[in-house]
Amino acid sequence: MGKHENMTMKKTFTLTFAALLAFGATLTASAQENPKVIRVAVSGAGTGGKPASSGSILTTAHQRGDLEKEFAKDGIKVEWTFFVGAGPATNEALALKKVDFASQGDLPLIVARSNGLRTRIIMKRQQFDKTYVVVPTSSPARTIEDLKGKKWTVQKGTATQLVLNRVLKKFGIKEEEIKLIDMNSDSQTAALSTGDVDAALSSSKDLVARGLVRRIYLVDDPKVNPPGNLWVSEEFEAKYPQIVQRFVSALVRTAAWSADEKNRDEIFRLWAKSGTPYADFKEDYKDTALRDRQNPLLDEYYTTFIKNSIAEAKEFRFIRRDVPFEGWIEPKYLNTALKEEKLEGFWDEFDGNAVRKKKSGAK
Amino acid sequence: MHRIPIFGMRGIGLKLSRTEYEVAVMSTLQSIEKPLSLESVEARLPPLHLPGQENILPALRRLAIGMVFPLLLLALWKVATVHVWLPPQLLPDPAFVWESLKEMAASGELLGQALVSLKRVLWSMLLGGGSGLALGFAMGLSPRAKAYLYPSFSLLSQFPVIGWSPLMIIFFGIDEALKIATITVAVIVPFAVATYKGIQNVPVKLMEVGRIYGFSFRQTLWHIALPAALPAILGGVRQGGMQAWLALVFVELLASSEGLGYLLVYSRNLMQLDVVMVCMAAIGLIGLLFDLALTRLEQHFSRLSPKGY
Repeated sequence: MGKHENMTMKKTFTLTFAALLAFGATLTASAQENPKVIRVAVSGAGTGGKPASSGSILTTAHQRGDLEKEFAKDGIKVEWTFFVGAGPATNEALALKKVDFASQGDLPLIVARSNGLRTRIIMKRQQFDKTYVVVPTSSPARTIEDLKGKKWTVQKGTATQLVLNRVLKKFGIKEEEIKLIDMNSDSQTAALSTGDVDAALSSSKDLVARGLVRRIYLVDDPKVNPPGNLWVSEEFEAKYPQIVQRFVSALVRTAAWSADEKNRDEIFRLWAKSGTPYADFKEDYKDTALRDRQNPLLDEYYTTFIKNSIAEAKEFRFIRRDVPFEGWIEPKYLNTALKEEKLEGFWDEFDGNAVRKKKSGAK
Repeated sequence: MHRIPIFGMRGIGLKLSRTEYEVAVMSTLQSIEKPLSLESVEARLPPLHLPGQENILPALRRLAIGMVFPLLLLALWKVATVHVWLPPQLLPDPAFVWESLKEMAASGELLGQALVSLKRVLWSMLLGGGSGLALGFAMGLSPRAKAYLYPSFSLLSQFPVIGWSPLMIIFFGIDEALKIATITVAVIVPFAVATYKGIQNVPVKLMEVGRIYGFSFRQTLWHIALPAALPAILGGVRQGGMQAWLALVFVELLASSEGLGYLLVYSRNLMQLDVVMVCMAAIGLIGLLFDLALTRLEQHFSRLSPKGY
């Protein structure tokens, strides 16, 4: 065997080896780069458990198929789950690693973190919701004080429970002074209409129109009604940061579309597919700008609210362990998206008291 | 010489010689005509237990054997938490559950919720038990009542409690009435069936004696039917008690603001699976105690009841 031949063999070997290595690297890299499917959970479902929801940037994106469009080019599927069991059900799915992105109310979000589930908050879904304290039409109650000692219903463990606690606190009523019954929203409607419960929180105009309930108090306090949260699991974020970025960017584009007043009717029509009637949204948004409520910013209002919610969750003994706030909110994806889409300064920031901050121009 | 183990006697290590074996087989064969067949063999056996130990040792042994499976489960649970086979949020460490149990017991929370649930069960046992007994006696004693009631009764008893719940909510709302009514329905069937069967099995001879003596309906009921059917009825009480606990948990899950079943669901919503497990343990334990007490009562009365022969 000549020296030359030997050299060639060595070379061939090295080359083959290098090629194999490169191939392997590509394989692992592509496995790292793209998941086959993105699993999005919405904590709540439409009427009768319909797989749809309303009121937020995420649900608009769901109805328009914005995320599907964004990821279709890479063959990534977007899988949606709508949990009738609301936030608590999302938490169980998160613990079982069955969710990558999810929308959730503040209480279950905090419960999850106090139990060591790892999430990163990446944007706000919506804010400044309105809700009402409603009673059966036949009820003699006129004020919240009349409902002291009465039967209230709420889906326990959800953000609405915290809202109820805040409302009661505002009126100096302790939770022990009412009877609180755990029901999901469909059962609440049924129980209200039969007069089996005396009060609930509901934003539905439809129930009023059908003569089932009467509104006695409008909860329109941005320090009572929580902003909507959107998170990614830490595990997913660590594996696919570029997907998280594209996810947020796509939603920011949806948010910009949602902020455009000429789309008002269409947004409501899209949301109405969840079973909540169009008229409900029309009334709900009557005197507010879309841009203010379909606002994705993780501003001072948002962080203050979550910090307060943590304190309240502790005060009302919904959690037993501390919730570390540091590192929970991750605004970098949102900031990048705002920059890329040239939307810096497009949405107004609000301060801790939900007061509009003076425009400081682009950040 | 060969020593051949007799079938079924290996457990106590009895070995017999061939002749002894043949004798034993012979006497077993003879037993077909003769009652108390193994007498001859038993006479040769060494006493199995020392007097005085008869009740304690087997009971302890039974307890020990009964504990094997739960202990294995506990070990499996521990291993599963150590190796994190399930997320700790969903399967907490047994030690953590034990801590929560102690805490909840000390604060009185567990007892308070258990009492709420117990009260519901007791009311339903009274209502459902009472009507179940009446129904069972009616069907057992009067052929006419049976002809009228039995077909409908056997149809209605096919529905599980869950099947009743929508109708129950319409009739009773979601308050205490719903809980008690639902559990009552669950209790009636086993009570009525047991009573009816118990009376059916009252020895005909006894009933005939009653008829010969010209017993009134009341006398027949009090002096013949009731005492003779008592063990069976108590069996029904036990069944009913178990059904009541099952139904209770279901109905407290439905719509409630207190009780063990309620605490279970609420804790799940707050991801406090340790509390969920404490509630499960409490429900299981109360059910077990209930069952034990009733078994005891049943045994006590079955010894007292009159026999037909």
